[in-house]
Amino acid sequence: MKNSCSSISKLLEKYFDREVTEKERVLVEGHLQDCLACRNALRSMEELRTLIKVPVEEAVQKEEFPWVWQKIEREIRLQKKLTWWQTLRSWIDVSPLLKRKVWIPAAATLVVLLLISAQIIFQKTPSYPDASVVEYVESQTDNVMVYQLEKPKVTVIWLFEGPEKEQTTL
Amino acid sequence: MAIRGTGEGTDDIVKRIALLLTAFFIVFFFSLQTAFAQVQVRMRVILASNAGQEIDPSLRDVHKELGSLFSFTSYRLIRDESLNLSLNQPIRITGRTGKAFLEATLVGLHRNMAELRLRVVREGTEILNTQVRLFAGRTVFVGGPRYGEGVVIYALYGNF
Repeated sequence: MKNSCSSISKLLEKYFDREVTEKERVLVEGHLQDCLACRNALRSMEELRTLIKVPVEEAVQKEEFPWVWQKIEREIRLQKKLTWWQTLRSWIDVSPLLKRKVWIPAAATLVVLLLISAQIIFQKTPSYPDASVVEYVESQTDNVMVYQLEKPKVTVIWLFEGPEKEQTTL
Repeated sequence: MAIRGTGEGTDDIVKRIALLLTAFFIVFFFSLQTAFAQVQVRMRVILASNAGQEIDPSLRDVHKELGSLFSFTSYRLIRDESLNLSLNQPIRITGRTGKAFLEATLVGLHRNMAELRLRVVREGTEILNTQVRLFAGRTVFVGGPRYGEGVVIYALYGNF
């Protein structure tokens, strides 16, 4: 089937930019074999690209991009510094995050971490057997006596101060 | 340039999420830990002596107990406080002059028991150092330091 130049010319630019599908490519190349006008149009495009590409590439090579970047960095540094409160607010502001889908893995991570930490935090400490109450007792100055009653549930730690150490301060 | 900028933006987002999550967990974990590692202990400071027959009206609930344990005739309440003890945070209960104090530190906490380290210090000298397990429903008396004609008794009750 012969394709008209008007329908192919729409595809020609895409073909030139290598943006056509495989089917379109076969179609365009088939038409180009038979159509001189379209071949010329394609050649014109190639020439135009060459005309633009060469001077642009030369200009790019001459241009000192590090200098441009340095200039941008200097401009950034010269910008007004944010106060600590503005900085904090920008950090706390989560609205940019909500626009992205990153909150999904973040929320999932949060849930997992909550479950893990909840198990650790809410893990009940075991009941301690109602055994001896006094773990240790010491006095470098006097004797100490400990006695323990079960009815009533009372433990007494008594410091025997000698009369010579009698104090009047409390 | 454009590619570099995009990469930095993504890194920044990831860094912000990581930092926000870290900050959240630090606050969350420590606030919970602090909230749960607390215990309320009631402490009464009693002055017991054989001078007179005075029983402080606010000690009537323990008068019988005191009478069965000690042989004093007079009991006066000097202080009655509820202490909110946090782990490893010592609290000092001073006497009237401030020269003597009992320092209580929560060193461990179980469901039915709090481990307390108690130090009695008078004029810079530690006269008693002990560690007790304060069970719910049990009273611990620490007594003996002399004061005037009597002695001081610290009574501790666990409110948990």
